[in-house]
This record gives sequence, C-alpha cells and structure tokens, in this order.
Amino acid sequence: MTRFGRTDLPPEQARALRQAIGIEVFTICYTAVTIVVVALVLGNSQAMKTAWIEDIFSLTPQVAFLVALIFVRRRPTKRFPFGLHRAMGVGHLVAGVALFVVGANLAFEAVTGFVEGDHPTIGTIVLFGQNLWLGWLMIAVMAVIAIGPPFYGRYKLKLAKKLHNKLLFADADMAKADWHTNAASIVGVMGIGLGIWWLDSAAALFISLGILWDGVKNTKAAVLDLMDTRATSYDQKHTHPLIGQTNELLGGLRWVRKNAVRMRDEGQVFHVEAYVVPHKSRVKLSTIEAAERAIVGLDWKVQDVNLIVVSELPPEADASLPDR
Amino acid sequence: MLKRSPLSLVALALVFALAGCGSIPADPDGTLEQVTDGVLRVGASPDDGLISVAGNEVSGDEAELVEGFAETLNARVEWTIGGEERLVGQLDTGKLDLVVGGITDATPWVESAGVTRAYPAMPGADGRNIVMLVPLGENRFLGELERFLDAAVGE
Repeated sequence: MTRFGRTDLPPEQARALRQAIGIEVFTICYTAVTIVVVALVLGNSQAMKTAWIEDIFSLTPQVAFLVALIFVRRRPTKRFPFGLHRAMGVGHLVAGVALFVVGANLAFEAVTGFVEGDHPTIGTIVLFGQNLWLGWLMIAVMAVIAIGPPFYGRYKLKLAKKLHNKLLFADADMAKADWHTNAASIVGVMGIGLGIWWLDSAAALFISLGILWDGVKNTKAAVLDLMDTRATSYDQKHTHPLIGQTNELLGGLRWVRKNAVRMRDEGQVFHVEAYVVPHKSRVKLSTIEAAERAIVGLDWKVQDVNLIVVSELPPEADASLPDR
Repeated sequence: MLKRSPLSLVALALVFALAGCGSIPADPDGTLEQVTDGVLRVGASPDDGLISVAGNEVSGDEAELVEGFAETLNARVEWTIGGEERLVGQLDTGKLDLVVGGITDATPWVESAGVTRAYPAMPGADGRNIVMLVPLGENRFLGELERFLDAAVGE
C-alpha cells in the first residue's frame, strides 16, 4: 500500500495517497450519478449533449490514476529494473489523447450544427401534475451538479502537490474548471428558451474547445515526461528544485571538484544520475556511497540514485544551483 | 480550461434576468404567433384508426384532436394530404406547422422535425406511442401543443 517501486512513502505521502484513492473513488461515484441524471434530461440541446459527453470522459483521469496505482506500487524486477512508475505517465497520455479526440469531434459537431442552422427542439414534461418546459429542468440539474467539482478539485490539487503526481494534478485542474462547462450549457439552454437557437451551438463549441484544450495540455505534459524531460515541479511550471539542491549538496563535498546531474521524473519518483569530477583520481568506495546516501536523504522522491565518477562532465547534465 | 472570469458570471446573471421578463421558451420563427387567430397548416398521412381521408375531408381521432387544438388557438385548419417524407420536407421548409398520421416515437424524422412526447392513450392509437411532428426548434408552439394533448388525451 505505501510503496512505490523501491520507494517507501513517508507517512505524510502515504496518508495523502490514501486520501487521493478515496477522493478518486468518490469522484467516480459522483460523476456516475451526474451522468445518469443528465441523461434523463438530455433533450436535443447540443450544449447539453457536449457537457454530458465531457462528464463521461472526465472519468478517464481518475480511472487511469487508479489503474496506474496497481502497477506503480510493484517493486522493480529483473524485467522492469526501474520499477513500473511510468504506468502513471502512460495513463496520463491515454487520458490526454482521449480528451483531445473527443473534444475535436464535439467541436466539429458544434460547428456543423451552427452551419446547418440546427434549431434545437426542447419540449415539455409533466412534473407533479404541472406542465414544465424541460429546459428549466436542464438548467436546474446543471446548476446543482456544478457544486461538487470546484471543492474536490481544490482538495485534489493539494494532494497532487504532496504526492508530486501530475495525473492527479491534471485531474484537479480539470475539476476546478468544470463549472465553465455547466455555465456554458446553461447559457446554451437559455438561448434556446429565448429563441436564440445559435447560442446552443456556440455554448457547445465553447465546451468542446475546453475539452480539446484539456486534451492538448495533458498529452503535452505526459509526452514531455515520457520523453525524459528534465524533472519539473508537479504543475510543470518550473525546473524541479531538487536538481539545484543535489548540485548544491555535491558542490559542498570536499572531494568534489565539479558536479552535474541528470534527473528525470518517472511519474511520481525521480531517477537520478549524479556526475562528479573528483579532485584526486582515487576515490574511496565508502565516500561515493556516503554521497549517494546523502542525495537519497534529500527527498522521498529520490531513491534511485547513481553516483558516477568521471574525468569530465557530460555537457547535457545539469550543473545549475537552486534559485536564491 | 479557461481562467475563471467574473465576466461569465455576469453573463449568466444577465441571462437569468432576461428569463424573468421574457416568455420562455420562445419560437425562433414565431409559429405560435402566426397560427393564433389564423391558419394552422397541418400535413396528414392516412393511418388506420387515426386519420381517414375521403376526398377533401379529413377525419379520425387524431384529426379531431388537431381540430380541437386549432380551436384553442382560434385558428382554422388547412389540411395537406401526402406521404410522410413529402410532409416532413414541407414542415422543414416552413410550409406546414404540424404533421400527423399515426407517427410513433420511433420515428426516423428526428433530424428534420421536432417531436412531441408520446401519447399512447390517444383514442385509436391501439397501444402505439403516437407523436406529432412540429417545425424544429419551435419550442413555444411545441409546448402549447403538448399542454393541449396532456389535457385532451392524458399523458
């Protein structure tokens, strides 16, 4: 439960992971309910249909996260000597591509609907003996189900930061922006109600472009990590400070003349290669191992560390120091 | 997705404000308004039990319902007899306001016409889920028709 490959999670992260599993399962249940409820009032609004399909596909990051966890927790083997951490990245990529394809498809449908001048038809229903325009019910449903995501989105964001999990971050980011979808579908249905039929297509286009954009962002983020980009923060906005910290640590050792690191993000933990040019050509094994242990001690994410003694630093390795 | 902007909230509030004063839903092409105190142009295709055609006379249980609906709008019914495809085409181009004739909720015309709720309790329906077709997106007219059928037939 509390293990990532060869990385044992510290208590804080282990707790955050349990919370993350809990909130992801909760989200799947919540979304399943909203999918059923929206399906009942779907009608002919393209905006509603788009929002509904977005709901369905918003499940992919959560499912990908939970499935990836099964693999990520396995210890490295001879066949998978680096562990199975990349499962998280693969899940992220799958979610990103799915969102992209669905978003593009829905955007196309919205534009076609507009060009063909589709006038969406929404009739009435009888509710408690009263004849009610179904549009009112759609608006009510969309307004009510918009309440959940911003709350659990914020909660997931905190967990994503603690766990350094980019899939969870993407999921949180999408949940936080989910109310845009609901607002847009309400505008679309109101448009139909007011006789402004094209507002429905416009709202559908707005929602589908949001999905498309989520797809682009997630695909890009997943591909960057799978291509072994230099380790970054969980939101991919900055170079990860551990690169600088590792260099600072090595630079502070008396036997080290020059140093640089190659650090890649395997999904939740890092793989670190530290290159060191020593002052003397003879270095004791125990000295090297002590430095390795010191790097491992920097952070829970760095457990897989190789310290390599060289005569010259490889130019690609990063010799930067943390920003002060 | 896009950044949270107060603008979209304002837009939403505006829409709700509009909702308060306007009559919702509206007909983009004003069908209900045109029909009221005027002519209800109805396309009918014959159906055993619901629509019978004899010369220029249209009768049957569904025809009676249409006449009743027209009465509530103070409108006169102008019948056009034809096959469903031709009638739906005329509905789509705005030459008809309503198409009837034993059409059920399994109708393939959903892309070209607005469809009412099903009324299996319609006399002569014989258990079929009978619907009527209206022009796409004429939601006020559709609501008015459904309200009438709810009262006349029962859901």
